[in-house]
Amino acid sequence: MFQSLKNIVRKSSIHVCIVNCGGCNGCDVELVALFSPRYDIEQYGIYIHNNPREADVLLITGAVTEQWIHNIKRVYSKVPEPKIVVCVGNCPISGDVFNQEGGTVHAPVSNFIPVAAEISGCPPRPSEILNAILSTGPGAISNRGRERK
Amino acid sequence: MILPIGPIHPSLKEPLRLKLKTKGEKVLEAEIDYGYVHRGIEKIMEGKPWQKCIYLAERVCGICSYEHTQTFAETLEKISDVRAPLRAQFLRVITNELDRIQSHYLANSTFFKAIEHETLFMYMLSQREHIMDAIELLTGNRVNMGWNVIGGVRMDVKEIHLKQILEKLEAVEKNHDRYVGIFENGPIVGLRSKKVGRMTKEEALKGRAVGPIGRASGLKHDLREKHHTYCENLEFKPIWRKKGDNFARTMNRFNEIPQSIDLIRQAIENLPEGNIRSDVEIKSGYGEWRNEAPRGEVLYMVETNGNLIKQISIRTPSIMNIDSCAKYMLKDVATVTDAVATYATADPCIACAERVAILDMDKGYDTYKLL
Repeated sequence: MFQSLKNIVRKSSIHVCIVNCGGCNGCDVELVALFSPRYDIEQYGIYIHNNPREADVLLITGAVTEQWIHNIKRVYSKVPEPKIVVCVGNCPISGDVFNQEGGTVHAPVSNFIPVAAEISGCPPRPSEILNAILSTGPGAISNRGRERK
Repeated sequence: MILPIGPIHPSLKEPLRLKLKTKGEKVLEAEIDYGYVHRGIEKIMEGKPWQKCIYLAERVCGICSYEHTQTFAETLEKISDVRAPLRAQFLRVITNELDRIQSHYLANSTFFKAIEHETLFMYMLSQREHIMDAIELLTGNRVNMGWNVIGGVRMDVKEIHLKQILEKLEAVEKNHDRYVGIFENGPIVGLRSKKVGRMTKEEALKGRAVGPIGRASGLKHDLREKHHTYCENLEFKPIWRKKGDNFARTMNRFNEIPQSIDLIRQAIENLPEGNIRSDVEIKSGYGEWRNEAPRGEVLYMVETNGNLIKQISIRTPSIMNIDSCAKYMLKDVATVTDAVATYATADPCIACAERVAILDMDKGYDTYKLL
């Protein structure tokens, strides 16, 4: 009873942390556009505040650069359970244009931490990002909570 | 006491580390750590044809992505001694100014978020969405457009789209003055922004501040005055201020928005008929080109070998602005929250700034500083 109540609450309040691990910040701009009155991410109970210690969903943008190889794991370990990782854009999936000879990126992100959902696009539209968070976030978070008990 | 802020922090969009030397709540000095988003773009570009490099140039920075492709194209056009057709030049002006408007709105919204003024933050973002629609109508994409090619632009514009863009601009203009009034006359906003984070003209010169940050401190430096399309066809006068505090920087950006709208109107009215793209045979040689991006001067130095890029060096405005922010603006700020707001008005774009990473090869590859 208590657990199911917890799940209901968790489903409707998702806290999100954005981690840019070395991209062109085009995806970050589209994530900022999610705040705008047109998309209004907060009406779905999603709150972006960039603090890994309070987050449920980790939004990762950018191909992994040299400095982030260790740090991406550290940031992931700081997030409390239940947690999921959503990759935004082509960079965390394949490295996009930076993954060529001469570049210093170590994509994909799934080599370092488990990834729940991936959104391709350079950058994806805000509506697509919103759709991905809403379709994976609530279910995954409430299920993980039940597993742990 | 040294207070580290970042690389992941609620008020920073991008990874960067601010080290504030504080005494109580007062900030005495600041230092900045870079190196979190170095991807090695210049190295990847070497030895590749321009058709591949122009996409890499676009992804130097996501916010001012358009200006980078234009500067890259104009550098190669200068090396080959050609100019784009006049219609293409005008279309470039329209997109450039639209990009500048959305970047200025985004920069101001970040500042309002930093001083916790949620209302203006939301207003700025809703204004910005109109401009993003206009960019999408013109180029087909919101952020990374892929619109410039050497010798012109990729697509022609339709009459109906120009009409819709003018309608969007009217919608932006309708509310712009009211929002500026809220900022200009609000007593609380004034307390948080006037006389905070001051940078004098001498300090701006020493720190090589460019763009709206330099212009707010009294440097009358705008490269659009020297650009051939602007000086030959359009009327334009740079906007500048004397005070150099957070209020002046934000107001300077606000005042540049109507000016950009005016430039777009001029360009649409005088849009000439003709080709949008000319055939260019790229010569071997060395060339430099400077352009005014939303944040200031962008410099491309390119050496070509026929169609291939032999060597390229990019200097973006953010590196100078962030540096002068750390050295002069963050000196003697009253509180830590004001320091974060001051950093937000410098309009930092870290992805632009990261061109170089220094490695100690004797000690191995792992000598980047850890978090």
